Amino acid sequence: MRKSKKMDKSSVFEDKKVTRRSFLRGIGALGLGVAASPMMGKLASAAVPKGPLKLTYWDSENPQMTPWRKKRLAMYLEKHKNITVDFQSFPFTDVGKKVSVGFATGTAPDGFTTIDFFIPSFTSRGLIAPLDVQQLGYSSLKAFSDDHPAAFVAGAMKDGKLYAYPQWWYGFLNYINTKQFKEVGLDPVRDQPQTWEQLGEVAKKLTIKQGDKFIRQGFKFAMHAAAWTVIQFNPILIQCGGAWFDKNGKCSINSEAGVRAMTIRASIIRQYAAEDPADTVATHPLPMMDWLRERCSMFYSHPIPPAAIRSQNPIMEAEGYYMPVQSPGVDPNKRYASCYGVISVISATASRDKQEVLHDLLRFMYSDVIDAWGATKPFLPARKSGWADHPDVKNFPHLQELIKSRDNGVLLPRSVVYAEMTDIMHRAVQKVVLTNANIKATLDTAAEEIDRATEDFYKK
Amino acid sequence: MEWVGMLPLAALTFLIVLPIIWMISTSFQASEKAYQLTTEWIPSVWHPENYPNALTRWPFPRYFLNSAIISVSVMLGNLIFCTLAGYGLAKYRFPGDKILLLLILSTLMLPMEVTLVPTFLLIHKLGWLNSYKGIAGPILIDAFGVFLMRQFIMRIPSEYIEAARIDGAGEFGILWRIILPQCKPALATLAIFAFRDSWDQFIWPLVAVSADEYRTFPLGLVRFSEDFANPPNEQMAIAVLATIPVVLVFWILQRSLRTGFTLTGLKG
Amino acid sequence: MIKWQINYRLRLMLWGILFISPTICFFIIFKYGPMLWAMWLSFTAYDMVSTPKFIGLYNYSSIFQDPTFIQSLENTLLYIVVAPAAITVVSLGLAMAINTKVRGARIFMSSMFLTNILPILACCLIWRFLFHPHGLVNQLLNPLGFGRIDWLTNQYTAMPAIIIVTVWRFAPYFMLVFLAGLLAIPNEIYEAAAIDGSTGTSRFWYITLPLIAPIMFFIIVVSSLLCARIFLFPYIITGGGPGGATRVLSLLIYETGFFYMKMGRAAAVSVVLFVIVMVLTIIQMRAFAKTEEH
Repeated sequence: MRKSKKMDKSSVFEDKKVTRRSFLRGIGALGLGVAASPMMGKLASAAVPKGPLKLTYWDSENPQMTPWRKKRLAMYLEKHKNITVDFQSFPFTDVGKKVSVGFATGTAPDGFTTIDFFIPSFTSRGLIAPLDVQQLGYSSLKAFSDDHPAAFVAGAMKDGKLYAYPQWWYGFLNYINTKQFKEVGLDPVRDQPQTWEQLGEVAKKLTIKQGDKFIRQGFKFAMHAAAWTVIQFNPILIQCGGAWFDKNGKCSINSEAGVRAMTIRASIIRQYAAEDPADTVATHPLPMMDWLRERCSMFYSHPIPPAAIRSQNPIMEAEGYYMPVQSPGVDPNKRYASCYGVISVISATASRDKQEVLHDLLRFMYSDVIDAWGATKPFLPARKSGWADHPDVKNFPHLQELIKSRDNGVLLPRSVVYAEMTDIMHRAVQKVVLTNANIKATLDTAAEEIDRATEDFYKK
Repeated sequence: MEWVGMLPLAALTFLIVLPIIWMISTSFQASEKAYQLTTEWIPSVWHPENYPNALTRWPFPRYFLNSAIISVSVMLGNLIFCTLAGYGLAKYRFPGDKILLLLILSTLMLPMEVTLVPTFLLIHKLGWLNSYKGIAGPILIDAFGVFLMRQFIMRIPSEYIEAARIDGAGEFGILWRIILPQCKPALATLAIFAFRDSWDQFIWPLVAVSADEYRTFPLGLVRFSEDFANPPNEQMAIAVLATIPVVLVFWILQRSLRTGFTLTGLKG
Repeated sequence: MIKWQINYRLRLMLWGILFISPTICFFIIFKYGPMLWAMWLSFTAYDMVSTPKFIGLYNYSSIFQDPTFIQSLENTLLYIVVAPAAITVVSLGLAMAINTKVRGARIFMSSMFLTNILPILACCLIWRFLFHPHGLVNQLLNPLGFGRIDWLTNQYTAMPAIIIVTVWRFAPYFMLVFLAGLLAIPNEIYEAAAIDGSTGTSRFWYITLPLIAPIMFFIIVVSSLLCARIFLFPYIITGGGPGGATRVLSLLIYETGFFYMKMGRAAAVSVVLFVIVMVLTIIQMRAFAKTEEH
């Protein structure tokens, strides 16, 4: 029964004769009438070229997203038999490299998946094409902006043009182990940490030590990848009133606010002794492994799929003794985290025909948001409207927290040397957290390195 | 004397081999065991299904096949061209031969990182990306192999060659019938290390391959370790499987191996 | 008669050139060509997409003022000096241990050699687990009185950890080379020395060592070259951390070129690495020539 509803969904979007009423009935929208109209406004697909056309699309591999994309692609190709798509997927780190090499050697794909923080490195070199929101199914840029989180829009626009089509967009949350909370006499809802100090205190209560060994750490930051380091540090910096770059473009993480932010970052270890960064069983595939194995009570992470929890700790998933809460803030009323997401972009080198087809393909792929959600939950669709109130969706555990985190999230820094910048920050955090380095000195060096990296980039 | 020294030596060997034993033991454990961080050497519960599980998560049989094709090609390439060049340098005098030897050896000082991008661009221009010749091509001949064969062949008395020439043998004939049979230890050494080194190759295939059908197993293993729910036990299973071909090649050629060593480091 | 001799010599010369030419062509295309191209690249700014832009010595002046590069340089120098020395000493020790007429020495030797046969990636993955704060290494050291050592996350132990893995992997290989050399020393020399009343240690210093000096030189040079190129160990085991403590130049080159897309800068770092290796080799060759004279 559910399946046929989903089929209805796609036929709703494909069949241009549908009326607004049947659409609204189909998704049981409550109060989504206004939001739905921009999508209804222009559903006519782009004039898809009729002749044979071959496209290449490079996807960033994800065990949930990739099979779903392939499925949607197959559906699209069924309808448009004149089009063939060479769809390849690679590990995320590979895609970036291969795309650059592709651009260098004239073998770039026509479209590819990437993450939003890489947009500047492409737009600064004119490598990706601006998108036409009307071909994506929106009547105007404003309609598009209204239907997507503000942070995304801000980060994907350049000179008034939109450069990325988002599919998934989400923010970080503090995942807490409610059973362990109750064990030490805390109430997961009332006592959830709202500020970083509270986080430290709560973490301290939850920590169990035996000599120099932590049996249980109160809280953990993931330390395995540079991208995560920046995602974690970003909101703290902004909450302290700091910024990555000042108005002249010079790196300002070593400002007073930056030092305060880094001190907060290190405080769980240094001040509250509730975290042991060297003691982790986290691995690349599962950075939240410590939390899954109940070696720590709280973990700062993107939405965690129930399947991941089930794979490592089936009891925790079955009994549901966990919950994501909003990130702590410097101000208890401003508890936001970083947000980011998976996007598709179109190469500037793709021919006009191919660009049109890609627009149409992307529009089709993500026209069934409910289906997307079903395949990739809990990673949230980037779109605001058309799915969250659906009966199949709205009872998903903690959905409102996830959405709140997404919509309140702050953008990651925009830099043309994002990869290098994250590596520099990662080393800086390692120095502070693992080798107990002086915070101001470390940040000074890091800021210098970031400035040098940026200067290098423009030396052309 | 014979038995007394054995115990400490056995203990030393055991200590050295311990990580390998750990690898094998872990490959049969359940995934939780890897995170318990207290080593259980003999698994209380054996999980041989780690092996077929690991092989099916990613197309490892294909990856292993690709690695095999590449490694055999590189091994053959080295055997053929290093011998030719080694023979040429050892037994022939021509203007510039010393300089050429030095130049060849100097390529040993060129890490792949220096030549990675230009090599990639070159392979792309040749249209060899994502093909066996593209992956095996740039690593087909190793200067170390040339040096090895040169050193070894130099020790073969030139009288045999002179005599064969007087008898009217052609140069290739001399190489084939006189030199090669005496080269078996060096050839075995060369074969083994060419195979082993190309089996281990990581950086070059990483750049040269973007299509799954041509991935080699190290690339597969790293992808595997970045996958969502991949357990370390299965990683170890793949690692064990990856060790077997090299062990086999070594085993087959090992008798010739030991004597091959003597000729590389000594003077002359 | 002379004409025939000249023809003969010429013919042989041409054959020699013929034999060596495929290899030379190969190296021109795949080694020298790219190397020169990389040297040229080092004077440019090149992100692989736009055409390279000539910027003179900027890359070089920039990297030598960059603390990241200096740190990588120091790490590499430390590694290139310490690791080959450790490998040489350990492999000599292992060779001498095997060379005693102990029963089953052959089996021990073959078993040790397994560390060299194991795929290098497997090596990395295994040791990453073993060096965990509660991993096997610490489990074994604990009863000996050592506290917990954060091998991979402490800036003072990260590089030693990488060196340990390096020695573990390469010493057995060089052990075999040493063994070949030790076996080549005729017994008569030792017997004569024994008659003269020399002790074990003096036998080692005055007989064994000088006789295997050529092999030792070979091992030091080859292991230095191997260590200059090492990439996977720091890449997989520590990711270059903590805080860049194990980031060696090859890792920096790879990241600068393929993650930061700064090929010109990466080429400059490669040239520096190449120079280091050349200088090291020259020094070693000079040192060896000197000891040869004795």
